[in-house]
Amino acid sequence: MTDLLTGLATAATDPTLLLLSFIGVMLGLVFGALPGISSTMALAVLLPFTYGMETPAAMMLMLGVFFASVYAGSVSAILLRIPGTPGAMITLMDGNAMAKQGRAGEAMAFALVASLFGGVIGWIIMVTLAPVIATYALRFGSPEYAAVVFFGLVLVAYASSGDTLRGLAAGAIGLLIGVVGRDRITDVPRFTFGTAELQAGIDFIPLVIGIFGIAEVLSLLARRRADTVSGIPTLGRRSWPGWRALVPEIPTALRSSTIGAFVGAIPAAGSAVAVALAYSIEKRLSKHPGRFGTGTPKGVVAPEAANNACVGGSLIPMMTLGIPGDSITAVLIAVLLLHGLRPGPGLFENQPELIVTIYAAIFIAIIFTGFLAATVGLPLFRRVLALPQRVLLTGVLLLCLLGAFAVRNSIFDVWLAVFFGGVGFVFMRLGIPVLPLVFGAILGPILEENLRRTLLIHRDWMVFLERPISLTLIVVSFLVLLGPPLATLLTRAAQRRKR
Amino acid sequence: MRRLGYMFGAALAVAAGGAAADTFPDGPITWVVNWPAGGGQDTTSRLVATRLSDALGVPIVIENYEGAGGLVGMRALAASDADGYTIGMLGTSSIIQQYTMDEPVMMDDLTVLSMFGPDPAALSVHAGTPFETLEDFVSAAREAPGSVPNGNDPPGGASYIAATILENELDIALNKIPYGGFAPTVTALLGGEVSSATVPIPQVIEHHASGAVRILGVMSDQRHFLAPEVPTFAEQGFDVVAGDFRAVVGPAGIPEDRAAILSEALVSVLSSDAFVEAANAAGYMIEPFGAEEAQARILAFDTAVYPVLESAGLVTNPR
Repeated sequence: MTDLLTGLATAATDPTLLLLSFIGVMLGLVFGALPGISSTMALAVLLPFTYGMETPAAMMLMLGVFFASVYAGSVSAILLRIPGTPGAMITLMDGNAMAKQGRAGEAMAFALVASLFGGVIGWIIMVTLAPVIATYALRFGSPEYAAVVFFGLVLVAYASSGDTLRGLAAGAIGLLIGVVGRDRITDVPRFTFGTAELQAGIDFIPLVIGIFGIAEVLSLLARRRADTVSGIPTLGRRSWPGWRALVPEIPTALRSSTIGAFVGAIPAAGSAVAVALAYSIEKRLSKHPGRFGTGTPKGVVAPEAANNACVGGSLIPMMTLGIPGDSITAVLIAVLLLHGLRPGPGLFENQPELIVTIYAAIFIAIIFTGFLAATVGLPLFRRVLALPQRVLLTGVLLLCLLGAFAVRNSIFDVWLAVFFGGVGFVFMRLGIPVLPLVFGAILGPILEENLRRTLLIHRDWMVFLERPISLTLIVVSFLVLLGPPLATLLTRAAQRRKR
Repeated sequence: MRRLGYMFGAALAVAAGGAAADTFPDGPITWVVNWPAGGGQDTTSRLVATRLSDALGVPIVIENYEGAGGLVGMRALAASDADGYTIGMLGTSSIIQQYTMDEPVMMDDLTVLSMFGPDPAALSVHAGTPFETLEDFVSAAREAPGSVPNGNDPPGGASYIAATILENELDIALNKIPYGGFAPTVTALLGGEVSSATVPIPQVIEHHASGAVRILGVMSDQRHFLAPEVPTFAEQGFDVVAGDFRAVVGPAGIPEDRAAILSEALVSVLSSDAFVEAANAAGYMIEPFGAEEAQARILAFDTAVYPVLESAGLVTNPR
């Protein structure tokens, strides 16, 4: 504890470290807010700059980028309806709905406060419980992964508003999209139509950029001139919610942050599952579940608190076991390797000062993110929104195409984005929700891989019911699926009995 | 007039070509990494690239690719201009993919510049398993074929091939469970989901030191510098050599003089004490050989691995 305070004090009084964290946060805010640039890409771009730095300096920069970009993903989700990261996909439902009601400023403020709150809770959990969580995360084998992803898909089906049948259809299409590419178990190409490009599968970024961003631009263009104003996000006069509006959100933020930190610690489960989980639980607990999806602040607070709490969680496997939980921590491990440090279970004993640096870097990044976003970020985004629509839409389209190209330096991905733009537009016209499709495409491959691996190892479906974690997840999944119709049946039966 | 223009143009081109040959390289070099940032291919590339940049006096830009087990990046490398300004890191999986993938990059499509070093495979077991020695492991796998779950890459990946060579040479059958890379494989080994794994030493050495994992043997001619106490397979009476190695390559047809400049610079960087120290600290073995030796290694691996792929039923593009 005293080590931690000394470490924090050292970092907070070292002007170089502070400056690097500041720069990192600034870059993270820019990269994260730009549609199509994920946190991983931002970190990879900055990796060469860390070669010449001392390890603590490199960590300050990289973790600043990491935390700030996760928060800033909410900005493009709210304003442009384009999630920068899987973690921001849920945010766009209520965030963008609020923006279209003229409450973009309020939505962004809620997102910022929730992100900072989530960041702090995730940080506290990381600092206090890292070794405990690490052992529990290791108990997560293939059956548990399969079960948690199944749970995530069920929750998305439950959380996305609208027609269940259409939602399920969209989810099924998403699962099929996830099948494209080389099979992860047998390495056999599937649905590649003999092309070299599709062998690598359909990347998340072109899919999301097309189906959300390009589709949104198309639908705005397709409106008649008379009502062009109605669908455009506007900031509105009130941009900061008062304390009275924030207080009711505290339980939501607390629950969602805790979920985020724990799910974030499970290698590869990632923020997509965490936000789906946080959002659906809030919807379930709410007295007005109908408000979710129509622009309720809770719908922004829950996913934003969860995905920023994931930051602390996702560092736990890296610090305690030396294992990267996702592509972001893989880049962080590369930084350590390039500095001659091999992360492993010995990191806590052998490199306590590095651990403290990581703690300090995250904490300072949270403070800078709050400061920069509130003072520079929000007013700047206000300016962007004030741009004439034709300029804004052209810019968004340009960024969309650039983002799609940048993922793998491939023009094929640009065409994919355009194609999914068309798909998203048609879906919008037909009233089919696209969220289940995207979650299906992201989570489907993880589900398939772990399901098949489970069966390869255990050769028996019963294993899912024999292991406590997977059993619980499956039972809860079916309760969520069958709960509402069962509840209706029960209340009807009760009413009949009263008579 | 038009002819004059042609001649003038041709003279300019010759002059420019001559000048460029004298001063190669005089602009930034692109270094293709066929895996995302953060992996072994990426870390080793960055270790070399920074120092090669100092040696050649030009910036080197790392370009990461992703997809199809590294083939997307290799295709981009092979298709780039053969002017010496695009080079990249080659792993053994790219040699294997010649026979297992559609539209592969053949070794003829590449110019070999230098060796980087080997990354020998090792057999590691979860500490909770009863396997104290390699002998225990082999007899258990022989008694009940397919009973030992082994963590490895999907078919065609380096650690899958290592597991297959192990099976072939020792006449055993493992239950080969594919994971998407070394990190999830090691996670599964630590959690006990698989009993063994055939990943290289640097991936497991810290867990070996902490006691969570036992490394039973190294599939190499010599012991690994990170784990000098772990005997090789040969020392324990099993003739198994398998694992990954890395080499630096460019597209086919790089002019000889430029290839020579790159190759010499690479060998001098790879031989420098400062580099070896940094690479060893990150866990990598260095063998700073030039183009000829590297080419010979690639050929030898190519020849040796083909029958293994055939026996495993992985060949879709026969020789």
